[in-house]
Amino acid sequence: MKKITVSGLKYRYPLTEELALKGLSFEIEKGEFIGIIGQNLSGKSTLCQALMGLVPHFYKGGYGGSVWVDGLEVGKAEIHEIAQKVGLVFQNPFTQVSGSKMTVFEELAFGLENLGVAREDMAPRIEHAMELLGIGRFRDRNPFDLSGGQMQRMAIASVIAMEPEIIVLDEPTSQLDPQGAEDVFQAIEALSRRGMTVIMAEHKIEKIARYSDRVLLLHQGEMVAFDTPQQVFSRDDLERYGVVPPVFAQVCKGMGIRNPATGLYPMTLDEACDQVVNWHE
Amino acid sequence: MNKIEIRKLRFHYSAGEEILSDISLDFDARSTAIIGQNGAGKTTFVKLLKGLLQPVSGDVLIDGINTRDMTVAGLARHVGLVFQNPNDQIFKNKVLDEVMFGPSNIGQSPDEARASALAALQMVGLADKQAENPYDLSLSERKLISIASIVAMHTDIIIFDEPTIAQDHAGKERIKAIIRELAKQGKLVLTIIHDMDFVAETFERTLVFAEGKVLLDGPTREVYGLPGILKQSHLEPPHITQLYNRIGCQGAVLTVEEFIAARRAGTGRPPVSA
Amino acid sequence: MKALSLYQDRGTVVHRVDSRSKLLYILSAILIPAVLPGFMPGLAMLALSILILATGKVFGKVLPLVGFSLLILASIVLIQGLFYSGNKQLLFSLWRFGFYREGLLFSGGICLRVMNILCAVSILVLTTRPSDLIESLVRLGLSPHLGYVLSSVLQIIPQMTATMETITDAQRSRGMETEGTLLVRMKAFLPLIGPVVMNSLVSTRERSLALEVRAFSARSKKTFLNPPQGGTANTVIPLVLLLAMAAAIVWRVMQ
Ligand SMILES: Nc1ncnc2c1ncn2[C@@H]1O[C@H](COP(=O)(O)OP(=O)(O)OP(=O)(O)O)[C@@H](O)[C@H]1O
Ligand SMILES: Nc1ncnc2c1ncn2[C@@H]1O[C@H](COP(=O)(O)OP(=O)(O)OP(=O)(O)O)[C@@H](O)[C@H]1O
Ligand SMILES: [Mg+2]
Ligand SMILES: [Mg+2]
Repeated sequence: MKKITVSGLKYRYPLTEELALKGLSFEIEKGEFIGIIGQNLSGKSTLCQALMGLVPHFYKGGYGGSVWVDGLEVGKAEIHEIAQKVGLVFQNPFTQVSGSKMTVFEELAFGLENLGVAREDMAPRIEHAMELLGIGRFRDRNPFDLSGGQMQRMAIASVIAMEPEIIVLDEPTSQLDPQGAEDVFQAIEALSRRGMTVIMAEHKIEKIARYSDRVLLLHQGEMVAFDTPQQVFSRDDLERYGVVPPVFAQVCKGMGIRNPATGLYPMTLDEACDQVVNWHE
Repeated sequence: MNKIEIRKLRFHYSAGEEILSDISLDFDARSTAIIGQNGAGKTTFVKLLKGLLQPVSGDVLIDGINTRDMTVAGLARHVGLVFQNPNDQIFKNKVLDEVMFGPSNIGQSPDEARASALAALQMVGLADKQAENPYDLSLSERKLISIASIVAMHTDIIIFDEPTIAQDHAGKERIKAIIRELAKQGKLVLTIIHDMDFVAETFERTLVFAEGKVLLDGPTREVYGLPGILKQSHLEPPHITQLYNRIGCQGAVLTVEEFIAARRAGTGRPPVSA
Repeated sequence: MKALSLYQDRGTVVHRVDSRSKLLYILSAILIPAVLPGFMPGLAMLALSILILATGKVFGKVLPLVGFSLLILASIVLIQGLFYSGNKQLLFSLWRFGFYREGLLFSGGICLRVMNILCAVSILVLTTRPSDLIESLVRLGLSPHLGYVLSSVLQIIPQMTATMETITDAQRSRGMETEGTLLVRMKAFLPLIGPVVMNSLVSTRERSLALEVRAFSARSKKTFLNPPQGGTANTVIPLVLLLAMAAAIVWRVMQ
C-alpha cells in the first residue's frame, strides 16, 4: 500500500528566487524506513516540512505538484488534519517546546490533549515514550532546564507519544551521545517494523546505511537517487553531491573488497567485518 | 604553561543535585575533545570556564586569572565560547555586524574588527552572506556564523560546544581545518562533541566526562583503546576502530588509511604514531 | 532559557485552590467594592487579598509590582488632587498648589481599586500554574486558541526577561561590560531592546510551528491530562464568593 505519493512537487519560499524543491516525484510504502541525505541546503528540511504541510500552509510561497499522505492531499488539507497522521521532529531541539507546560511529563501530554486522547490512555503512552528515549528521570523537570541532548530526546518522545502513522524526523540525533543515537535508531526501526512509516533526514551516513530500507539523495532541490543504501552509496559520483559513503565502504573500496554476491561495497559493520576477515591480498 | 587550571571544582544548579563533583584538571595547548553522555555536565563545565556560571566551590584559573576575580566581559579577551544553541548567541540583524561585535568590544579598531570578521567568515565559507540577516539563514549556517563570531576575536583559548551540529561532510571538514589551524597557532581549542569519528581525526587529547567527573583523560588513541569504559559512559569508539576491534585486533586505529595500512602490513597492531 | 512564568511553586493551601475559584475571587474583588459605597469594603477586600498572598508565601513577589504601579498612581493623585473638575474644598496647599478634598478622595478611590485588582490578579498569577489556569478556562468553554494567547500574555514578561538574560550572556561573553555601575548597566541595556524584540518575534514564530505540528489547532474535542480539581473547598469557595457578590448587589438595589 502506498502511504505517501509525491508527484511533481515544486516549492519556492516567499521572497526567494530559486526553487527549494524542483519537481520531486516518489512513492513510499507503509512501514518503510526512508533516509533523506544530501548536503546542507539541498532541501531536506523543506521536504520534511512539505510532508507535514507546513510547506506551503505555514510558510506560504509558491507551490506546485501534489503530496498525498494516507489518502489526504497535503496541499489542500489543513495542518491539523495532517497532524493526526503525520508527526514531525524538527532539526533544532531548542525551538520545539510548547512553552505552556511546566514539566516534561506534561509537555509530552500536550500533543495527546490536542488529539483528544482519553485521559486514562495518556499516562501509558507517555511512560512508554519516555522510557524509549531514556528521559523518565526528568519527568518533573521544567522542559527548559534540560541539557541539549535531553531536550532532543524530549522532542522525539513527544512526537512518538502521539503515535502517528507516519513519522518525519529532521536530524533527530544531532545532539545525542553515541549510545543515545543508536538507541533512537533502534527504537525507530522497531516502530517501522510495526508498521509506522519513517522518513528521516540525517547526516549520519553509517546509521542510514545500517537502518534505512531506501535512501533518497537530494541535491539542490532535486532528487538524484532513491534506492537501497547499497546502490546509492556505491555510486561513483557521490562526492559531487557532497556526500561520502560510510566509513566501512571507504575501507573496502580502499582495499578493493566487494561483496561477491552483489558486486557492491559492504556498507555496514557486520558486512564489512565478514569481507575484511576473509581478505587476502 | 597551563592555559587553564581547575582546582577542586564543584557545581550544582539546585542544592543536592551535584552536576560537577571535585574536578581538578589542567589544559595546555593541546587540542582537546570533551566527550560524554547527554547530561554529563559538559556544557555546564565550559560555562564555568567562561565565567557565565560561578563555582559552588573550587577555582578556575584562566591564564592565571581566577574567574571569580574578573567580569565575564573581562574574561572575553582570554576565552571565546561558541554556544551549543546558535540562537543563544546571535542577536544582530546583519551577519557582518554579528561577527564584528566581539572583536570590536575587546579592543580591535573598527578596521581591524572588520578585517578579522571578514577573515573569519571566509574561514567558515560564508563570506558571501555577510550582508544577510542571520535570522534568514538555516541552522547549519547559523552555527557557522556563531563559530566565525568567536574565531574573529583571536582569543588564546577557544571553546566549541558541539560545533558540527547540522553540518554536512564539507562543513565538518571545514571545521576540522579551522580547529587544526587554531591549534597550529598555539591556541588551546577545547571542543565538546558527540561525533567520535571527528574526534579521532582532529584532537590530540580526549576527556571523557561521566556523571560530573572526568572518567578518562589521555591521548585520543589511548582513550579509544578502552571500549569497555567508553560503553559504560554511553560512548563508543570511532567506526573505524569498531571495525578494527571486530576483526579481532586490539587497540585503536583512527583513520581509514591507518586501518588499511595495518591490514596490508598483515599485523593486528596499528602503526605507532601520534 | 528559564521557566517562562511568574508562578511561584510554594505548595501552600492557596496553591491547591483551583483557578476557577481564584478567577471568581478577582471578580468579587472588583465587584463588591464597586457596588458598596465608601472606602471600607475596598480596604477590607485589600486586606483579605494581602492575607491570602501572605498565606501563599508570595507577598514578597507582589511588592515590586505594587511599587511600580504606585509610581503611576502617585501621578494620578497629584493630578486629580490639583485639577479634579469637582474640586471645591481646599485641604492644604503646597507652595502655590492647592490640594482639594474631592480630587484626593476620587483618586484615592482609583488607587484602592487598582491595588485591589492588582493583588487579586496576583493571587491567581503567582499561585496558579499557568497551564492549570488555561486548562480550567478551556474547560469552562474558552477556545483553546484564546487560552494559548492568554497564557502567552501571562508569560510575556518572564519570556522577555529570559530573552534578555540570554542576550546579555551572549554580549558579555563577547566582551561587552554588563556588570558594574548603574551607568555601565544602562549603557548595556539600551542596545538590548532591538534584539530582544526581534528575538521574541522569531521565537514566537518557531513556537507556533511547534504547536501546529503537535495538532494544536485540531478541531476535535481536547482532553486533559489532569483530572479537574474537585474537593469540598473548590465547591465551597465559589459558592461563598457568588453569594457574597449577590448579597452586595441585592443590598445595593434595596437602598
Ligand atoms: N524559511 C526559509 N525562507 C527562505 N528560504 C529558505 C527557508 N528555509 C530554507 N530556505 C532555503 O531553501 C533551500 C533548502 O533549505 P533546507 O533548509 O531545506 O536545506 P537542508 O537540506 O535541510 O539543509 P541543512 O542540512 O543545512 O539542514 C536553501 O536554499 C535555503 O536557503
Ligand atoms: N538551567 C538548568 N537548571 C537545572 N538543571 C540544569 C540546567 N541546565 C542543565 N541542567 C542539568 O544539568 C545536567 C548537566 O547539563 P549539561 O547541559 O551540562 O549537560 P551536557 O553534558 O552538556 O549534555 P548534552 O550532551 O546533552 O548537551 C543535566 O542533567 C541537566 O538536566
Ligand atoms: Mg535541514
Ligand atoms: Mg551540552
